[in-house]
Amino acid sequence: MEVGGNEFTEITLRPLDLSDIDAFMVWATDDKVARFCTWDAYTSKADALDFIKNKVIPHPWFRAICLNGQPIGAISVTRNIGNDECRGELGYALGYKYWGKGIATKAVKLVANTIFSEWPNLERLQALVLVENVSSQRVLEKAGFQREGVLRKYMTVKGKTIDLVMFSLLSTDPQS
Amino acid sequence: MSKEMEINLSKITLRPYKISDVDDFLMYGGNEKVTRFTRWNTFTSKQEVVSYINDYCIPHPYCRSICIDNRSIGFVIIMPRSGDDRCRADVGYALAAEYWGHGITTRAVKMAISEGLKEFPDVVRFQGLVELENKASQRVLEKVGFLKECVLRKYSFNKGETRDMVMYSLLSTDFMP
Repeated sequence: MEVGGNEFTEITLRPLDLSDIDAFMVWATDDKVARFCTWDAYTSKADALDFIKNKVIPHPWFRAICLNGQPIGAISVTRNIGNDECRGELGYALGYKYWGKGIATKAVKLVANTIFSEWPNLERLQALVLVENVSSQRVLEKAGFQREGVLRKYMTVKGKTIDLVMFSLLSTDPQS
Repeated sequence: MSKEMEINLSKITLRPYKISDVDDFLMYGGNEKVTRFTRWNTFTSKQEVVSYINDYCIPHPYCRSICIDNRSIGFVIIMPRSGDDRCRADVGYALAAEYWGHGITTRAVKMAISEGLKEFPDVVRFQGLVELENKASQRVLEKVGFLKECVLRKYSFNKGETRDMVMYSLLSTDFMP
């Protein structure tokens, strides 16, 4: 395998289930991964199993990011109802040792290439990223998202009111 | 009412809705010119208005009638969020068409935000989402001191189409009454 070339073409997405708990714990317990997320790093297997059972399995669209079939991260799209059905929100997290190799970008592109046909009423896929999280902003730019602007003091996360950058990809935007 | 009328803005008051506002509400809520860019479907009957006032306006954490001489000529609302989103609140408003162009909505929104800051101490961000085409409403927010943050493309569906919305925000630290 060439380094940095075809090495990571085996990035695939598949549903995550309880049997993936050990792989899940690798990234979910890592403070470096959780740092810019709304969630705190998991400290117990029981809490992580609860999360998979109660949030992941019933989720409208939650996938493990897999390298050679092994989960190394997760990506999800939340759904809205009624007048907000045209809009979905993307979130993702990747194991620290896999950062910097274009994997998250690849996973986001895989989602972008499928979600609009799976949800025909979806016209806008958006993502909100902390202003300090420059790497994640790069992922979305490389995946073809448009940076729309900064929403000041938009949410309270881990006790702080934070500024978020809004990105969007429309079903009509060119797919990369 | 004619365009030449003088409005003394100090006569503008805000108060909770009453069922007796039904006829006045229907004057603006039943006018497509007013409802065009709002979330409302144009009201078509007194009964509809009575239900809306009873079921939505009166129990709401902050929904007020904009009044002249205690008569309802418009609507202003502040909707705080909950949980991780409780630092922000959405602002909405509508005014009877015959009263447009006198600075009444600007005045009413400023008054509402002053009250909102006291009622909702967790809120540090007031935001307004305005349809891209609704220039008059964007000017209201700009005059109140909101900052235009971005255009959210195809953000939500209203009256048959997905709409581009402009996001405006006012931080509690920026507000000048």
